[in-house]
Amino acid sequence: MIAELLFATFFGLLLLGVHRKVIARIQRRPGPPVWQEILHMLKFSFKTTWVPKTASATLFVGVVLVAIGIWTAALFVVLSGGSLLILFAIYMLHKIVEHGFGLSSGSPYGKFGGVRSVISAASEIPLFVSVAAIAVFTHSLLISDIIAYQALNGPLLFTIPLAAVAMYVVLLSKMPFGPFSIVESKELVSGYKTEHFGLWRAGLEVCNGLKTYVLLLTFILVFVGSMPIWMILIGMLLIIISLSFVCALSPMLSPYDTVTVQTLIAGIMVAYVAVLGVMS
Amino acid sequence: MKKQYALALALVAAGSGIAAMVLNMVHILPDWAYMGVLVIAFPLFVLGLGLYWMAREGEADIPFMGY
Repeated sequence: MIAELLFATFFGLLLLGVHRKVIARIQRRPGPPVWQEILHMLKFSFKTTWVPKTASATLFVGVVLVAIGIWTAALFVVLSGGSLLILFAIYMLHKIVEHGFGLSSGSPYGKFGGVRSVISAASEIPLFVSVAAIAVFTHSLLISDIIAYQALNGPLLFTIPLAAVAMYVVLLSKMPFGPFSIVESKELVSGYKTEHFGLWRAGLEVCNGLKTYVLLLTFILVFVGSMPIWMILIGMLLIIISLSFVCALSPMLSPYDTVTVQTLIAGIMVAYVAVLGVMS
Repeated sequence: MKKQYALALALVAAGSGIAAMVLNMVHILPDWAYMGVLVIAFPLFVLGLGLYWMAREGEADIPFMGY
């Protein structure tokens, strides 16, 4: 488990580096090397660190620990074939963590970032609907059961493609530089993490690496099924490249447009699941 | 935090994780308990190691308010 945890952290950061590189190449920039996010994590560890005068010190530091802890737990839920509901509870906790990051510093930019993270909770709605679609077919929300179902009946990607699209939109909303990345919008400096620098930012980078790995791994296990590890890693790489294309070619939406688009997707998904439920 | 305390925190966290791994391998500690130890120990290890590594502790400042 320790080896998997360290591998997930570094591979997740490498995927985020690939994400930045692909976006840069599409925009005809050289871009940073693909291991830039790993270097970022190490670089921030060596920087001068303090807690701002206006911050709530306990929350300011504690939220970093919680951020890493919840995504460590999420990784173990996925690896042990646990319930999707626990995983999505962790998604919700992550929203509270982002909010905590923003509010703890006393910075107006952090606070706005924290508020936007609450607004962006709309991105979770398609997620719940895609879970409902999965439950209609598999009659279980355990990842191990979903994998077993796909071993017998083929990938859910072909059975319920719209649910996979909804989950893909959720992945997109979690990616930096994407159309739904309103929590890290440039008019808010760095959003909820503006004042978390130095070591605290290094902790946040570890959290981001784990989060990226867990989200992509979940997508593959839930919609494609179990595969050899090298195929899973290639699958994750292909998904991140496709996400990078979408991020590079689409503008960042305003917060209200983001919520509107995601609510529309959720509405379409509700209708789709209702039809699936009636037909099955 | 003093450097030696930070190093102690990182070492205790790493030691807990490794001890949990060994106990799990000899079937004394169940999987869920091993994972629970790592969920707590890993963040403490990251921050402990970072606090030990970091350049220095600067004096607290007010947050960035814009230009």
